[in-house]
Amino acid sequence: MPGFLEGVRVVDLTHYISGPYCTRLMATMGADVIKVERPGTGDPARQIGPFPPAREDNPEASATFMYLNCSKKSITLNLKAEQGREVLLRLVDSADILVENFAPRVLPSLGLSYEVLSARNPGLVMTSISNFGQSGPYRDWKAVELNLYGLGGLMNITGEPDRPPLREGAPLAQLGAGQNAFVASMTALYHAENTGMGQWTDISIAEYTTNILENALMQYSYSGREFERAGNRGYGRAAWGIYPCKDGYVGVIAGPDHRWPAVAEIMEREELADERFRTRLGRLSNADEVDALMLPWLLDHDKADIFRMGQERGLGFAYVATLQDIQEMDQLNARDYYLDLDHPVGGAYKYPGPPARPSEETWEFRRAPLLGEHNRDVMGDLGFSDADISDLAEAGIL
Amino acid sequence: MLDLSRIWAGPYCTKLLADMGAQVIKVESLRVYDSHRGPVSPARGIASYPDSDGGEQPWNRNGWFNCLHMSKHGITLELTDVLGCELFEELVSISDVLIENFRFGSLARLGYTYEDLRKLRPDIIYVSMPGFGNSGPWRDYLAYGIGQEQLSGMAHMTGYEDDGPMKSGINHGDPITGSHAAGIILAGLRHRRRTGKGMFIDVSQLESTVALLGSYLLGYQMTGRDYERRGNRSDLYAPHNVYPCLEDDSWVSIAVTGNNEWHALCRVMERVDVSEDTRYGTLQGRKDYEDDLDDIISAWTCHRKAADVAYRLQDVGVPSTPVLSAPGLLTDLHLKDRGTFVRVEHPWAGTHTYPGIAWKMSDTPGVVRWPAPGLGQDNRTVYGGLLGLTPERIEALENKGVIGTIPTDSRII
Repeated sequence: MPGFLEGVRVVDLTHYISGPYCTRLMATMGADVIKVERPGTGDPARQIGPFPPAREDNPEASATFMYLNCSKKSITLNLKAEQGREVLLRLVDSADILVENFAPRVLPSLGLSYEVLSARNPGLVMTSISNFGQSGPYRDWKAVELNLYGLGGLMNITGEPDRPPLREGAPLAQLGAGQNAFVASMTALYHAENTGMGQWTDISIAEYTTNILENALMQYSYSGREFERAGNRGYGRAAWGIYPCKDGYVGVIAGPDHRWPAVAEIMEREELADERFRTRLGRLSNADEVDALMLPWLLDHDKADIFRMGQERGLGFAYVATLQDIQEMDQLNARDYYLDLDHPVGGAYKYPGPPARPSEETWEFRRAPLLGEHNRDVMGDLGFSDADISDLAEAGIL
Repeated sequence: MLDLSRIWAGPYCTKLLADMGAQVIKVESLRVYDSHRGPVSPARGIASYPDSDGGEQPWNRNGWFNCLHMSKHGITLELTDVLGCELFEELVSISDVLIENFRFGSLARLGYTYEDLRKLRPDIIYVSMPGFGNSGPWRDYLAYGIGQEQLSGMAHMTGYEDDGPMKSGINHGDPITGSHAAGIILAGLRHRRRTGKGMFIDVSQLESTVALLGSYLLGYQMTGRDYERRGNRSDLYAPHNVYPCLEDDSWVSIAVTGNNEWHALCRVMERVDVSEDTRYGTLQGRKDYEDDLDDIISAWTCHRKAADVAYRLQDVGVPSTPVLSAPGLLTDLHLKDRGTFVRVEHPWAGTHTYPGIAWKMSDTPGVVRWPAPGLGQDNRTVYGGLLGLTPERIEALENKGVIGTIPTDSRII
């Protein structure tokens, strides 16, 4: 396999979203990622969907699973059985990295704590992702994305001031923690390849959200003043947010003061060039008036046109892209961003491509594996005979 | 790492690597420094300064800058000056990685394409991250974090039910791109160790962000249905929302992910009647009556403190957390116990609390080595110590305004 992580073997004990995004980055950069799933049902992300119409609830056709598990191998293993754990330990013997996102009590209760695994393989890089981390009073608390986003401080500053705090539609806390888990794993791999010594990394999803909370936390820490929910008028600015337009929503992002006259020009409203609106603070204290002056023009124009007109005058305008818009986006298609992958059960789709483009070849995108698709390959590599494999399958281990 | 990046996406990347011990040299211009330092003469009352006061050198006192640049060196350099270019070239020759998030082509126009940089350092890893990447019809377009959130689909997916899209409290695209870049740099360094080859890495912040949302794009192709905003609710679970609590603007999040959790919640609320109501006994039932159930839960939470509700619910295995604001974060028992935040003394800003290292490693845990540098603070250390310039030469550069510590212009991008 080509790629920057050529020759790196990863035992992947992750499920749902956070851990799988981390190991997806590894797999698509050339690591040999062996995803270990529960026999029968597999990764619960296989149940989440969305599903294609003719494949409702088919665990091979869940979009969430299909996207997050590209380029990995799948084996099934019952870790509650002694023989299943023995197979896992043999995988660990030859692994460089193990990533898991079980609740913190799970692996130790199976006799598979970091201490046990690192005793088998001192060079092992183990990365554990969990909701609240491997220590502390909330260690064993339960949570979904909503709870993590709420605890971490991001939710409190998202939404309208007179309405409840609002979560992100996408699971950005879990995905972001998965990204950082990849960075941590690469750091630990660097160290392990230099010294031969592995280590254990503890990543908390809730903590990840506090790590990216630069504005609210720093403002309070420095001046004691709380950063308030401000709807679309955040960051103490006006004409710096989402506005309705003729065919959807558009981002009027005025930029620095010296560019403001261009906004008045585009919108053909001389009143907007008024002295009172020339500065950021002036616009903020007259925000309603500024909005009222812009709205008629915005409602008369399409998002793509407003975006282009702003950009052509050096303004960082944007628009609220729907999923359809993103698929059709000129910039992405001109750069051949999307790639085609065909899955025997789920079907053929356009997948977003790599998050960065190195001039040296590294990316390799393959469809997500079927449940246990690589049982024979992987078990064979470990030295199990066909008869052993059949026995283990019959015993419900595999 | 030679770090020419500004604002947040690039600085978050180099922050993660500086936290892990990389030697990051942040390069700024006296004419256009990192905008996160704020204006040269800020209005009074801006809350990101200590006590909302910019003070004498406000560019060294802005919390938004200071939280992203701990453990980095800070130097100044004018790339529009011949002498500045000489210094830059010397720095490139001793760097493993060069990163910038200028607008497309900025560095090339100053005479530094990837090919030029390779002549100075054959195995350099050059990371260029303009908003939309280094090619395509939008390559010259200007991108702010708030705009990336809209173009990447995140804003479309966020908002109250039956209402318009909503911006998030932070610009998520920046840390998303920064973290992707950090991981790919580390993987690229591994490739270089094995092959001796450096590389150019073209990062489109737009592509980097859309890469996170592929499940939704696949789902859209499968079903033909675009995403519908539904506030804090979920397709998978119900009830699933935030509920008002006793204190002003205080909220608790509660997510019921199964029938057992539902009955446990009812028990804690002492609502046997609700628990026994068969209409709510299944996920579908609870979704059908979600408005009613949210009212029932709100009527119970509004007399209680958010943390008390969360603790009582977690005791019986129901996912729940208080929705924390900054003061709540700094006093939260769990985050305190884990040392999530650190106190750091800064020579211009005083002692304040910052987010700490983003994860915990058993063997090489990383540590905040020093506070964020003031503008040009490390000029003497880097130019004298690292490049071996004599004190006389450094002074001459200072006198010519090639390097320095006092900004000469207040241009904010």
